[in-house]
Amino acid sequence: MKLGPILVLVSAFLAMIVGPAFAEKTVIQYDCIPNYANWGAVTKAYQKKTGILVPPDMKGSSASMAALEAEGKSPKADCAYYSGAIGFQAASKGLHEPYKPKGWEKIPAALKDPNGTWWTVHTGHVAILVNTSALKGKPVPRSFADLLKPIYRGMIVYDDPRIHGTGFTFVSGINAILGGGQDLKAGFDYLRKLDGNILKYAKENSYNELLRGEVPIWVNADGNGLKAKYVDKAPVEIVIPAEGTVTMPLVMGLVKGAPHKEEAKKYLDWLLTDEAQHIMAESFFQPVIPVKLDASLQAKYPPKSAYAKAKVLPLDKLAAQADGIKKRWEKEIEGGR
Amino acid sequence: MAPLLLCVPLCVLLLVLLGWPLVHLLNQSLLMTDAPTARITLHNYLEIATVPRYRHALFWSLELSLAVAVGSTIICLAPAWLFTRYQFRGKRLMRGILILPMTFAGMIVGFLMIILLGRTGFIPQLLERLTGHPFLSGVGYQFPGLILAYLYFEIPRATLTLESALRKLDGRLEQAARSLGANRWQVLRMVVLPVIRPALISTFAVTFSVSLGSFGVLLVLSIKRFTLLPLEIFTQYIAPPTNQGIAAAMSLTLLAVAFGTGYGLRRVARRMEGTNA
Repeated sequence: MKLGPILVLVSAFLAMIVGPAFAEKTVIQYDCIPNYANWGAVTKAYQKKTGILVPPDMKGSSASMAALEAEGKSPKADCAYYSGAIGFQAASKGLHEPYKPKGWEKIPAALKDPNGTWWTVHTGHVAILVNTSALKGKPVPRSFADLLKPIYRGMIVYDDPRIHGTGFTFVSGINAILGGGQDLKAGFDYLRKLDGNILKYAKENSYNELLRGEVPIWVNADGNGLKAKYVDKAPVEIVIPAEGTVTMPLVMGLVKGAPHKEEAKKYLDWLLTDEAQHIMAESFFQPVIPVKLDASLQAKYPPKSAYAKAKVLPLDKLAAQADGIKKRWEKEIEGGR
Repeated sequence: MAPLLLCVPLCVLLLVLLGWPLVHLLNQSLLMTDAPTARITLHNYLEIATVPRYRHALFWSLELSLAVAVGSTIICLAPAWLFTRYQFRGKRLMRGILILPMTFAGMIVGFLMIILLGRTGFIPQLLERLTGHPFLSGVGYQFPGLILAYLYFEIPRATLTLESALRKLDGRLEQAARSLGANRWQVLRMVVLPVIRPALISTFAVTFSVSLGSFGVLLVLSIKRFTLLPLEIFTQYIAPPTNQGIAAAMSLTLLAVAFGTGYGLRRVARRMEGTNA
């Protein structure tokens, strides 16, 4: 073999291995799904401003926590984003390092950990997102009870609560919404009845399927539905169920042992600035730091009266019950162990 | 000496990527258990047999892989035969097209099933336009979709595997049989099939092992109340409360079954080849 081609091959191989070290700087966020809370736009704005890339990560809340646990002392992520209860659980497992980003004082006390192991970045609510044209003439469901009707057989999807935080919030919160007691019986009875109409328990984010009408009814955060309607111009209607809903704080934490700690801190600081909070508000998730919204944007949100029955669940209790609820869901609803 | 030295990189790679993880998994499966003792115990392996969910995962994996392997071996027989015996235009192009499905990850094939046979899939929409009713809508989320997806990436693999094995078949045997008065069916039954039996067994072994390990399809289709062993392993790692010991035990079980059947069948095939020669 001639020397020339060998040299080319070897240098190409070396470039492949060494190259990434010189690539642009990154901050790794676990659970950075582009179509959830419009992280795509948020991270794009950050990259435009600072040149730092925050790549998409499709892990759900629980999957992120599992990944951080498995990685132990050498985590690959700098920060993680979770649905409230799972974030609380991750923090209590010692996976986060205490950090109080700039703007800490503006976050309400109920929405953060006093030591800084987790804090809310924005809030959503559990809602029923309906692709009206995929319903093909059927009436739009207006309540959780409506979802049990046989006409919606095979049309309803919610996220697997073992993997995604929003799915977990729905599974654990439905009991409180329906006025159930400590034993969670009301909630699980409802989920068992709902199972008949379920198309699948999604392990992947179903935003695009909702847009296409492949998934006609998706139980997920209201903000994602509003973005589908107003930003992606899909025939989606956002229904805040008549029985009420659950307020879902979405939290973040700095990972203990983060590989790019300084960059991650700057990123977390930026997420609480007016600029970032405004992008989140434009994506229809309620910013934790009050931001002035112009009237036309405010009008697109569902009216305040729809949220009259929104329940706020204690995160510490939910976190303590999380493992048990997931196992019970797996046993009673998904198919048993 | 030189050939042995050239093998060193491969040996190092195998040691690092195969040997070390296997030892690590074995360690986890024997020590990370829910059992009260802290010593080495087979508790995890027993759990696979006793807990219904894991037992079902193992059996359904075996059943599905068996069905897909049998189905694709039978279906690929005619195309593989055509490829060996007949020359036709575009043969190379066809072979190239056949390789495509094998390159796709399981998840992509799953999405393909949803695009074709989902609720708003291409086929139901076409049928609706032709007949007014969306037949087969949502079939992709049920067993037909699962089997079709597996067949989609297994039939090409089976065809190409069988074709390369069939090429060794001597065409003169058939010509001799024809000249002795046998008709097409008799030639097939008494001359061709016995000779290609080892090739069929090897093809079956390959498709069986590959199907056993594939889980991307089910991850996307998420069929209710159904699970496969690779998906259970994935769930144990990614959905807290995680149980890495059981996941390791399941991984090693899967590996043992795949390796055992593949190796065992291949040996049977080789012994058959030996007697036929």
